[in-house]
Amino acid sequence: MIFGRRLIYLVMLVAVAVPVLLKWSLPPQRLVSAERMYDVIENVRLEPGEVAIVWFDFGPGTMAENEPQAQVLLEHLFRRHIPVVLLSQYQQAEASLQAIPREVAARLEHEMPGQRWEYGEAWVNGGYRPGGSIFIQALVNAPDVSKFLGRDVGGMPISHFPAFAKIGGIERVKLVGHITGLTGVFDTIIQFFQKGGYRPTLVHGCTSITIPEAYIFLDSGQLKGLLEGIAGAAWYSEILKRHFPASDNTKLLVVNTALSSAHVVLIGLIVLGNLVALREWLRRRHG
Amino acid sequence: MGNASTWSQVSIFVGGLGTLAIFSFLIKENPFYRFFEHLFIGIAAGLGPMLVIRDFLWPNVLTPMLGANITVYPDGTLSEPYQPLYLLYIAPMLFGCLYYCIYSRRHAWLAKVVIGFTLGASGALAIRGFFGEVLPQITGSFKPLVVMGSGGFMLGESLNNCFFVVTLLLVLNYFFFTFGRDGSAQEKAAPLGRPLLMVCFGAFFGSTVMARLALLVERVQFISDDWLGAVKALLGWGLP
Repeated sequence: MIFGRRLIYLVMLVAVAVPVLLKWSLPPQRLVSAERMYDVIENVRLEPGEVAIVWFDFGPGTMAENEPQAQVLLEHLFRRHIPVVLLSQYQQAEASLQAIPREVAARLEHEMPGQRWEYGEAWVNGGYRPGGSIFIQALVNAPDVSKFLGRDVGGMPISHFPAFAKIGGIERVKLVGHITGLTGVFDTIIQFFQKGGYRPTLVHGCTSITIPEAYIFLDSGQLKGLLEGIAGAAWYSEILKRHFPASDNTKLLVVNTALSSAHVVLIGLIVLGNLVALREWLRRRHG
Repeated sequence: MGNASTWSQVSIFVGGLGTLAIFSFLIKENPFYRFFEHLFIGIAAGLGPMLVIRDFLWPNVLTPMLGANITVYPDGTLSEPYQPLYLLYIAPMLFGCLYYCIYSRRHAWLAKVVIGFTLGASGALAIRGFFGEVLPQITGSFKPLVVMGSGGFMLGESLNNCFFVVTLLLVLNYFFFTFGRDGSAQEKAAPLGRPLLMVCFGAFFGSTVMARLALLVERVQFISDDWLGAVKALLGWGLP
């Protein structure tokens, strides 16, 4: 019996490892929610001083799904030259706040020699902000977001950077992106990131576990676009590649293919298990 | 291989070792797994307070309060004037510290003041948050059953909305527990909500499995792409 359990682990490992080791990639499934998110970002029009706020509320536990989402979202924002304020309500996001924008900027600079995406111009890292709903309420009610945020993670005043010097009130935050696997944290954004008649254009990247909950917000219009786990990020990267052919999404497509391979094997195991159970039931019934 | 590169390879090596140690639990419980489990819990517990101090308390609270951000030039002038109002941060800090009075029988009532304040504030926030979250969902559930677009009747959208409204009504009906069992239509319709709920639970379970498999894929990719490369680099294999 114990060997049987381990055999299933081994089969799943092989199902995942084969596409990863062979760098095998299949085209991703079309997802309308990701397309809506692409269109939303494509239609953002900024006046000077206006920005987007993107929350990275994920750590190592959900990085497998949230990191590719953060990468494709930032890639699109950077390509559109939308200044991004990065924030987090989750302390374990620290490494991602530092590394992901630098990786995306380096990739874009490699793709387009001569163009630069530099810290302080393309993005600023506001770091981890404790306080949850209280912090968000204070942020949306602040007369000047730059002054309220104060200093970046390195201790530099955010108003020191020209692109972020005079953000002004929260109405000048034209897009809010939220990447997380934590439902409670996402609820806080939905509940409190609003003021008077202001409702942000909110897009969200969620883990597979929270897709059913995120759909409620998408259906009600509180969310304008959604990345559903790895599949959402893979389809978003495919849309980016269609518009920007030099964009490289090979690694993400391999991950998506490995996931699909594991699903096929899992479905096969479920069918097999039920067939065995059915055979046993029939055998018992007929003596 | 430079110093930074070496440290990067070492950190990848340790990360891969941790992954293999945790996965070794699938074979059986072992000391290798237990050591890395405790190591992870310890790091996660220590990381939180350190990051709060480094990324929030120091730059945003202590630095302006202590005037550590002000530079004194040789002629005695300051880079910016000191704002004594930042000292007001001390008041809520001291108030919050009263929570620790819970460890003293004599002064435990002081902790209750803080707890009472926290409960009151949390309750008010929860009510505000509820309306901020749920009201748009209630209005969003008022969907037209017959959808007309620029091209005329939209069958797909209409069916979608009908299915949504029927599901909503049946599931709400399932949770009416105050009506008597009098054989009414309401009672007869109640069991229909259950299979719809089961579909929802199935979706939750399926998506949970997908999330777990995504973690496995990422770890396998990390081991094959990054970790094996780091092992080779640290052992000097494949280097010129």
